[in-house]
Amino acid sequence: MKTLMTTAALAAMMTTSAASAADLRMSWWGGESRHVATQEALKICGEKHGHTIAPEFTGFDGYLEKLTTQMAGGTEADIVQVNWPWLPLFSKDGNGFADLNGLSDVIDLTQLTEEQRAAVTVDGKLNGLPLSTSGRVFFFNLTTLEEAGVAVPTTWDEFFAAAEALRAAKGDEYTLFNAVKETAQLLVTLAVVQKTGKDLVDPATNRVAWTAEELAAGIAHYGKMVETKAIRSMQEDAAAGNVNLYEKPEWAEGKIAGSYEWDSTYSKYAKPLNEGQNLQAVAHLRFDDAVVDGIYAKPSMFFAVSANAKDPKAAAQIVNCLLNEAEGIDALGDTRGLPASAIAAKRLTDAGAINPNVAAANAIVMAASGPTISPFNEHPEVRGIFIDTLEEYAYGMISADEAAEVIIDGANKVLRGFDPS
Amino acid sequence: MTARRMLGLGYLAPYIAGLLVFTMVPFLASLYLSFTDYNLMSAPVWTGLQNYIDLFTSDRTFRRSLTVTLIYVFTTVPLKLAFALFIAYILNYRLRGINFFRTAFYVPSILGGSIAIAVLWRYIFATDGLVNMGLTAMGFEAVNWFGDPGNALFTITLLRCWQFGSAMVIFLAALQSIDKSLYEAAAIDGASKLHSFIFITIPLLTPVIFFNLIMQMVQAFQEFNGPYIITGGGPLKSTYLLPLYIYDEAFKRFDMGYASAIAWVLFVIIMVLTLVAFWSSKKWVFYAGDKRS
Repeated sequence: MKTLMTTAALAAMMTTSAASAADLRMSWWGGESRHVATQEALKICGEKHGHTIAPEFTGFDGYLEKLTTQMAGGTEADIVQVNWPWLPLFSKDGNGFADLNGLSDVIDLTQLTEEQRAAVTVDGKLNGLPLSTSGRVFFFNLTTLEEAGVAVPTTWDEFFAAAEALRAAKGDEYTLFNAVKETAQLLVTLAVVQKTGKDLVDPATNRVAWTAEELAAGIAHYGKMVETKAIRSMQEDAAAGNVNLYEKPEWAEGKIAGSYEWDSTYSKYAKPLNEGQNLQAVAHLRFDDAVVDGIYAKPSMFFAVSANAKDPKAAAQIVNCLLNEAEGIDALGDTRGLPASAIAAKRLTDAGAINPNVAAANAIVMAASGPTISPFNEHPEVRGIFIDTLEEYAYGMISADEAAEVIIDGANKVLRGFDPS
Repeated sequence: MTARRMLGLGYLAPYIAGLLVFTMVPFLASLYLSFTDYNLMSAPVWTGLQNYIDLFTSDRTFRRSLTVTLIYVFTTVPLKLAFALFIAYILNYRLRGINFFRTAFYVPSILGGSIAIAVLWRYIFATDGLVNMGLTAMGFEAVNWFGDPGNALFTITLLRCWQFGSAMVIFLAALQSIDKSLYEAAAIDGASKLHSFIFITIPLLTPVIFFNLIMQMVQAFQEFNGPYIITGGGPLKSTYLLPLYIYDEAFKRFDMGYASAIAWVLFVIIMVLTLVAFWSSKKWVFYAGDKRS
């Protein structure tokens, strides 16, 4: 009997020990500054709550493929950073990740607004906690514009005039703006949304909300940018090979004077600029007859707890520490943009820990108007059809009308796969 | 079973286990998946031949990718073999410092498949890259290598040809094993260098040419790094080789069943071409002791 009791006591101790001191894994993507800050935050939060967290980090390229493979095998990390548009891919029915509503005794959910929580709720299950709200904004190289004596445009008409004035003042190797791949796609989207006030997908019907004529007008708007040399053609841009904008010498030298990028990526685009160049986010350019600003804003990413986590409570403790506790907030800083968590945003703003340019870019996003964005805008197949067709249009293989038909048919085909059965 | 036999099997066991786990299981699993609709997140659903029907009846991207892949393989392999043989022939001469040159020519094949070289290639052929600098210095116009669908595949092809080292080393070893007395006898009979090359060297090299042909063809069909890094498959899918399409379908569009079907089509193409090569080899490959005249 004595032996039995001792064994039971030992087993109880071991169980308690396992529950209070868990070995966890956390995966995320990002750049160098985010990697350093997150590792430091995990160390601090781990020590505070008595857990150890093994970091698994990489760049954005390849992260989705890695996470997909892990999710398929049930080997994903206990805490996972997930891009918001991937939510329907991993959690079609809301069971892809742990339901954080059930862990509300550990996580302070009140730090997020109801809308923020709704954006990551599927079928009533809270699949994660949004880290920030991110949106596409216009960045302009003010140094280049000032040297050319060109004012920052506020309307599309001013944009085309500025492009011409810039080339006249600085030469043909200068272009006002960048628009390739998904940036080109989102500029077409912006043009259509400004004119119609509608997002790509109608949530009521789960089909493309735009008519072919509306989309064709948006594509033609992109075509006008190329014709007027406000942007470089896709042929010219592809001549450098498969290179990111911020890696291009023309960007660093200010010869490409602007782009339409995520507000949270301000530093990524500002850092490579040659010394003395000043990059700034500006308010959305508008058509004279625009219905809305057309802001493309969404929860940028969220932390989720794996549905396969052995100790979801321990994982939730760490998530709460990273988002809502002083130690985690200070360590992470603004490496994932302006935090969505109210307490984190206040603490970092009060401490002056937010890069003023990032804050200014985010303020533009938050102030601008636009329809709610469907995650299907960034569904890999929808995006692939959009970008490939736009490329065919840019190479003169199809007309804007034909491109619009192809995109709408292709996107609807993908959307049909998500109809309720 | 004898202890000796047991020992032999023991030595073989790790290889057989590896073959079964890492080759046979995925091989058979992909065959099964090619008949299913499988998105990784939910269980595969049997769809029979639907993936294959879609591939051959309604998939424009597959047709484009297959065409690009065949053009790539049928230009790359002969060019690479010819170039490797040419360099091996030169390096077979007894010249001062020949060992240095043999090493120098082999180095690209060690570096060739690496990401770093692909990135370097991107810079060499960029608008203001080394190649265009050379062209403009000679009075020619700069060429849009990556932005023009007619040129982009050429740059990828050139990268593969540049990695000729492994084929060259095999050719070199074969050249060195040819009996010198054959050349001496031919020279006495008045044969020129070209005649000796065509009527002695080439026939005696045919087993090695055959081996290199098969190896290079299989590798060329599986090329991924070059186009992925340099052009991303563009422009207009002009460098979108089948392995890139398989990767995108599997890991970007989560259609593992469809990706498996493409992989199996690729496998069948490689197998058929290999069988054709083996069948035709009876007519043009000559082995030592061959009684044909």
